Amino acid sequence: MSMAVNLPPVRPQTDHKRPGLLRRIVAEYGQECVVLAAIMLLFVVVTLVNPRFVNANNLVTIFSGNAYIAVAAIGMAMVIMTGNIDVSVGALIGVLATVAGTLAVSGYPIWFALVAPIFVGMAVNTVIGVLVAYAKIPSIVVTLGALSILRGGLISVTGGTWISDLPPDFLIAQKRLLGLPVPFLFMIVLTIAAFLWMRYSAFGRSIYAIGGNPEAAVATGIPVERRLVSVFAIHGAFAGVAAILFATQLQVIQSTVPPNLELTIITATVIGGVSILGGSGTVIGSTLATILFATIGSALIFINVSAYWLRAVIGLLILATVLADMLRRHRRT
Amino acid sequence: MTAPFISLSGMSKSFVGIRVLKDVDFDVREGEVHALLGENGAGKSTLIKMMAGLYKPDSGTITVNGEEMKFAATGDATAAGIATVYQELLLFPELTVAENVFLGHYPRTGAGWIDWAAVRARTRELLDQLDTHDLDVDAKVLTLSVAQRQRVEIAKALSRNARILIMDEPTASLVESDVQRLMQVVRQLRERGVGIVYVSHRMSEIFALADRVTVLRDGAHVATCDIGEVNEQQLVSMMVGRPIDSLFPKAEAEIGETVLEVKSLNHGRHVQDISFRLRRGEILGIAGLVGSGRTELALTLFGMTPATSGEILMEGVPVRIGSPRQARDLGIAYVPEDRGLQGLVRPMAIRKNVSMATIEKLSSGIFIKARAEAERAREAVRRFGIRCRDIDQPVSELSGGNQQKVVIAKWLETEPKVLILDEPTRGVDVGAKAEIHTIMGELVKRGVAILMISSELPEVLGMSDRMLVMSGGRVTAEIDRADATPERVGAAMTAHRGAEAA
Amino acid sequence: MNLRSLIRHETFLALLLVLVLVVLSWQSDRFFTVSNLLNQGRLMTEIGLIAIAMTFVIATGGIDLSVGSILGLVAILLGVFWQNVGMPLPMAIVAAIAAGTLAGFMNGFIITRFRVPPLIATLATLALYRGLAEGISQARSVRGYPDWFYVLGQGQVLGVPTQLWILFAAAIIAAIILAYTRWGRTVYAIGSNEVASRFSGLSVEKTKLALYTASGFAASLAAVIFVSRVSTTRSDMGTGIELDAITAVVLGGTSIFGGRGTILGTIIGLCLIQALKNGLSLAGVKGDGTIMLIGAVLILAILVSNIFGRSGSR
Repeated sequence: MSMAVNLPPVRPQTDHKRPGLLRRIVAEYGQECVVLAAIMLLFVVVTLVNPRFVNANNLVTIFSGNAYIAVAAIGMAMVIMTGNIDVSVGALIGVLATVAGTLAVSGYPIWFALVAPIFVGMAVNTVIGVLVAYAKIPSIVVTLGALSILRGGLISVTGGTWISDLPPDFLIAQKRLLGLPVPFLFMIVLTIAAFLWMRYSAFGRSIYAIGGNPEAAVATGIPVERRLVSVFAIHGAFAGVAAILFATQLQVIQSTVPPNLELTIITATVIGGVSILGGSGTVIGSTLATILFATIGSALIFINVSAYWLRAVIGLLILATVLADMLRRHRRT
Repeated sequence: MTAPFISLSGMSKSFVGIRVLKDVDFDVREGEVHALLGENGAGKSTLIKMMAGLYKPDSGTITVNGEEMKFAATGDATAAGIATVYQELLLFPELTVAENVFLGHYPRTGAGWIDWAAVRARTRELLDQLDTHDLDVDAKVLTLSVAQRQRVEIAKALSRNARILIMDEPTASLVESDVQRLMQVVRQLRERGVGIVYVSHRMSEIFALADRVTVLRDGAHVATCDIGEVNEQQLVSMMVGRPIDSLFPKAEAEIGETVLEVKSLNHGRHVQDISFRLRRGEILGIAGLVGSGRTELALTLFGMTPATSGEILMEGVPVRIGSPRQARDLGIAYVPEDRGLQGLVRPMAIRKNVSMATIEKLSSGIFIKARAEAERAREAVRRFGIRCRDIDQPVSELSGGNQQKVVIAKWLETEPKVLILDEPTRGVDVGAKAEIHTIMGELVKRGVAILMISSELPEVLGMSDRMLVMSGGRVTAEIDRADATPERVGAAMTAHRGAEAA
Repeated sequence: MNLRSLIRHETFLALLLVLVLVVLSWQSDRFFTVSNLLNQGRLMTEIGLIAIAMTFVIATGGIDLSVGSILGLVAILLGVFWQNVGMPLPMAIVAAIAAGTLAGFMNGFIITRFRVPPLIATLATLALYRGLAEGISQARSVRGYPDWFYVLGQGQVLGVPTQLWILFAAAIIAAIILAYTRWGRTVYAIGSNEVASRFSGLSVEKTKLALYTASGFAASLAAVIFVSRVSTTRSDMGTGIELDAITAVVLGGTSIFGGRGTILGTIIGLCLIQALKNGLSLAGVKGDGTIMLIGAVLILAILVSNIFGRSGSR
């Protein structure tokens, strides 16, 4: 009965007083459930209006096109859970994508071009983490500076040129494995892995501890500074993976990322239920939120709303979610 | 007699030039309850924080089991077998009970994974040892009551095989039934050979539990003795440093007509059907345990949490108080319980803090009259004897008593008719305490009506003309000065269960 | 804290600015000319107006990320009101500014009424307002404004670019308010300890509401100047300007946690950034290399003032 041995920390005891499993999931993962319900509702409604919404191509667009945002949001979720923030990740993804592409077209082995961004991302974010944890500069200030450095550096190095003639083997985001798009698989696997890691590993639990009660974390003997640096480094690794998925989506790599990419990633994290004050939330929520954004984007097209209204709708939705969350919280306290 | 498990000798510590601990000796044996006594600001918490490795002593040595130790971090103290249950419990609200207990030292499986089954099972075991069978190990801590959280903290200490358990005012926020349970737990731990440092103000608990007692005063060691050698009177005079009857200089003031009248006031669970009258020149004391609704009543009168029903009359006129601003304009002032958080803007200068509640009066148009402001601040420093460098010194650099005087000065600038003082002398040294009491005396002579909340029974008994006792959000007794005895007030403080059932 | 450490930070920044000016004018003789400096002032105005309002917001411990989007929205509305709705241009300007101010008020309302953290609230409205701008404009730009309109963004008054007068006036008024009035005092008090401010009877909510509204107004004003300067409206105007403004404010010594900061510092921060941008481009450094340097200066400046200021702070 190995199942019984590795019981998770919050699984129900065989205790008759406790509410049903479903109610406990809703209580514990309220925000995740809200986002999931929103996705399902959208699917039902839009499919009724336009059945082509659920055709295979569109599903790939929805679940695969934004996968890199979801992957980056995993790292962001960890950073925010410690009570910090990173506004430079969008620029970092741009830099790492260019690093990957440049290596790929300069004759380095493909595997190297695909792995290098992960390590570069970790290195860059380790520096950021050190400035936050040891030099005690607020993370928003450090990452604002890093944003300028990375963005400026990228454009001045590339001169805004695009990288083309990428080797076909490099373009992993366009491939399929087991019949499923690779970015989708990355998103699912990394989300689940990160979720389990944060839920069951000592390190993962300490992330919640640091964000939830920093003073108590010190008193409990958690090496807060070192953990913070590690969290930033891990976030950098996720940015590396995100950069690869982003870089290999198309036949060319532009030296720009979508404007406000970092804010989209932060928003996904927050809508997914990670408290901006730190200490609570899950990475499942941020991934669901990313899927929700993609679903909305696609839905607008299928019900014939101009794509120009996409951001307004998403903005309204974010606002509604935030307000609902706040009202829920006030009622609880 | 066994040798002490831990002994501290010659401990000294200063903060920003103020010596808070002077050459103090202290030791704890295994299997004893050693009570640590002293007024607020006597140095108790500094001493226990040194034992816990949170503060580094400026001088002095710590010896554990005959071996000299340097505690560079909390981890060192934990490793040496010392655990602390702080007054403000250090738990992680989003994590479960079991996780909180074992965070930082999870049991592992052979493969290096956390053994969650063991975490849960051992937590269950520890809680059962503490007679806490009703607590779910999978519940998030944020859903627990204060008493339950405290149990989790104790389990956490035991999970690290603590030989010495430091408990900082563990009963301050517990209701009576929980206090009894806690004392039972303490006795059990002592039988198992754990040494306990028990910090408390409550004499009854100390005489019921302690084997030895150490008294600190103004950062210095006064005495350490077996509990059988002393009585309560002696302990109090050791703490205070003078005979007790001179401590509360009750100034006789002429009591005039009613200023504030409250009729069946309600707000939430903590303010239920409260009625009383407060007259000019009167000090009305409010006694009650933490959580009895004392502070909540004050917050409702001050407009922070406006009343949901009931009537407030200022000088006979019905008023609605919806914000602190309105309260201020009606002549109600509130010196809050949490000085650092609610009372002061600590990084700001004395001058700016003193003028904060009267800044409109000190402005012409929107411009602040800097000279008038400085004048008022200098006047306040003079009048209340605030010890400072100058009026531009940040209040964060002042001692607790002087900080409290700044808060009082700020509110007296508004020339209030009703002054609500919430724990006016908490964390204040003995000298400043007497000064604050003297200020209160002067105020009532000038016709101010004072509503004083205090956890210190002697202070309530000594200063008040009348007292209200609160429990469970209701007034359980109204007692005149002449009829007030500690027993009577104490009984009313825990009387609510009967009252509610009736 | 910290009048002393505050002065220290500003002195340090001012020295840095002087140093940069000296080095740059030595690098290129086109830098230290009246016409170049005035022109740089012109380019600085939009960020400057936003940064001045942002100084107040950050000094209360808040933040406003939506200013760039408000700028874009107001620019679009200005074009739409004038061309599509057919309002006379002055009326369109007033209406667009009113709408942008309302957008700021919305921010403040969400933050004070629903207790949403400012970062989250303005992150949400950043998406919303930009989305509205995109939706309304449908990617069409509006051009062909009457000539008089360009005086604001491209003309001069008494030999000085028109908008620079506006920036001067705004800076002086803001500096006086922050330093000498009870409103300014309230701002610092809220930023240092919001709870104690409330307990002292200060109107915390009203003040915050006013500040976010003012921030919306500043962004709206910047939008009109922006449109006049570049002769067109596009929905992506002002993207990322919030980060530039925050950089200037933080560089200028305003604590991101609130309670500390001055308008003078913000202005010096602005000048430093603009001088670096301009000087380096004159010295042949490509435009985007200067952005890097600004990032590095931001981190270093805070690091250095952290090290020197540590004695006074926590």
